[in-house]
Amino acid sequence: MQQRPPAEPLLAIEAVSCRFGGLLALDAVSLQVQEGEIFGLIGPNGAGKTTLFNVISGLTPPSGGRVLWRGTPMSRPSPERVNRLGIARTFQNLRLFDSLPVIENVLVGLHHAARQPLAGALLASPAFRRRQAVLRSQAIELLALVDLAELADQTAASLSYGDRRRLEIARALATAPALLLLDEPAAGMNPVEKDDLCALIDRIRAHFALTVLIIEHHVPLMMRLCDRLAVLNFGERIALGTPEQVRHDPAVIEAYLGGQP
Amino acid sequence: MIDPTLLVQMVLGALLGLSVYLPLSGGQLSLATPGFYAIGGYMAALLSTGWPALGGAAPLYPLPSLLLELGLAGALAAAVALAIGGPVLKLRGIYLAIATISLVEILRVLNLNLPFTGGAVGIFAIPQPFSDPAGYLGAALLLLLLVGLLCQRLEGMRFGRAQAAIRDDELAASCMGIDTARVKLTAFVISAVIAALTGVLSAHFLNTWNARQGSFDASITTLAFVVFGGSRSWLGPIAGGLALTAVPELLRPIGDLRLIVYGLVIVVGPVFFPQGLITPELLKGLARWWPWRQREAAP
Ligand SMILES: Nc1ncnc2c1ncn2[C@@H]1O[C@H](COP(=O)(O)OP(=O)(O)OP(=O)(O)O)[C@@H](O)[C@H]1O
Ligand SMILES: [Mg+2]
Repeated sequence: MQQRPPAEPLLAIEAVSCRFGGLLALDAVSLQVQEGEIFGLIGPNGAGKTTLFNVISGLTPPSGGRVLWRGTPMSRPSPERVNRLGIARTFQNLRLFDSLPVIENVLVGLHHAARQPLAGALLASPAFRRRQAVLRSQAIELLALVDLAELADQTAASLSYGDRRRLEIARALATAPALLLLDEPAAGMNPVEKDDLCALIDRIRAHFALTVLIIEHHVPLMMRLCDRLAVLNFGERIALGTPEQVRHDPAVIEAYLGGQP
Repeated sequence: MIDPTLLVQMVLGALLGLSVYLPLSGGQLSLATPGFYAIGGYMAALLSTGWPALGGAAPLYPLPSLLLELGLAGALAAAVALAIGGPVLKLRGIYLAIATISLVEILRVLNLNLPFTGGAVGIFAIPQPFSDPAGYLGAALLLLLLVGLLCQRLEGMRFGRAQAAIRDDELAASCMGIDTARVKLTAFVISAVIAALTGVLSAHFLNTWNARQGSFDASITTLAFVVFGGSRSWLGPIAGGLALTAVPELLRPIGDLRLIVYGLVIVVGPVFFPQGLITPELLKGLARWWPWRQREAAP
């Protein structure tokens, strides 16, 4: 299990609230994610899990509270700046670049790695071409990691559901994040694919020294995968702790697990 | 044999098509092209008629003065595009189209009423750097070649990839670390410069320039170039610009009926070629016959 947490959390959510009209989607939620852990976020539909991801990734400004990255508050975060800080995400309702080939989706993620002198790029200099070839092989490597290397030249739209989910992960990894936010990565997958996904998440965490924050409805999977879990219900964080602690938390049993411990 | 005057017009049309295409390939429906085209034309007209050193009599004539006009027109268009691009490009889809059409109209009204633009009659007797249409054709083709190559290169660079990503899903693109505002602004500025350079050539070629050169219907016509030719490759707007500029002229013998036929071509084209004349599939097919195949350029 998790050792004693280091002093400074990688990501700290401090009393973050988010209001949509009359609806309080997040109600002063606080939690801290430590470097290197897999942190799970569970809760019933509409609990505010995706909203929390949107706040972290700079898509939705919180109506209260703040988010700290390595101890520093993120001021006026925009999605691209958040990504540059080292936070990448996937989307609950897949948002791939559908008309682009699979490999191009990953290459978009390599956008910042692909920075090159303008003159060389315009003239297609040998140095530019060499660098392009390196980027392509990096993209292929990432695709191989998620078992999609053979499909590199197909359009993203043509992939099966499970493949699309894994492509989103590869694309996010291409931006070289320190923290990966996964929003229901196993949704729509069959049990075998779910097991494979668990193995994949473990593998990429080790390979890239990643911290993972994951939303998933499949509770047994989360209990197995996560070092710690937070439970949201109607925008409130009702529990936080190791899978063992959360499993036996009365508030969780009441609100979420429907009375089955 | 096609009349060389028409050929010049066709090449200028292809250039305007590329100007509309650049923002559109990043998903931005900007119709500001005729506005920047007008700016370029006025720049050329005013400089070459108002400043003797740039006119027909001077030793500077014609190439250095033409290059100077191109440089100044491009710089002015870039400055205007930079200044208005920030706020305007926050708009999306049809709202951006409406805002850019308004911009074209504002420029048109300004050009009608400014003290130095010659009012409704405009500016006459713009000096001719080339004595025959062949000279203009050469200049226009050279510009088209350069702009076409630029577009082709941009598509193979990370800028082009970022544009494609924004076109498919702007929000996801920004979450991948792409500064979408900056990419959109860059495309808008390049588009403005292309239009202004085209305006410079056009003003000399037409010999006269007035506010009608940059109007609302030109916004629609230039958009039609891209829709008709195809918006998935830089070859599309070139094909569309060449074809749709030629059609009304070639149909001149049938009189006013030609406008109806022209309208039909624009309406029916997308029905039979929903992706335009030049599609990715077509290019893939052609690429197999292309002897100097490039790995990294193939999309
Ligand atoms: N942009 C928005 N505008 C208005 N209401 C919103 C918006 N985004 C989310 N909500 C509302 O906020 C609440 C929380 O939504 P959220 O998507 O965060 O839930 P979730 O925990 O991810 O649920 P699920 O498990 O179904 O994905 C819901 O009631 C939702 O309708
Ligand atoms: Mg959700």
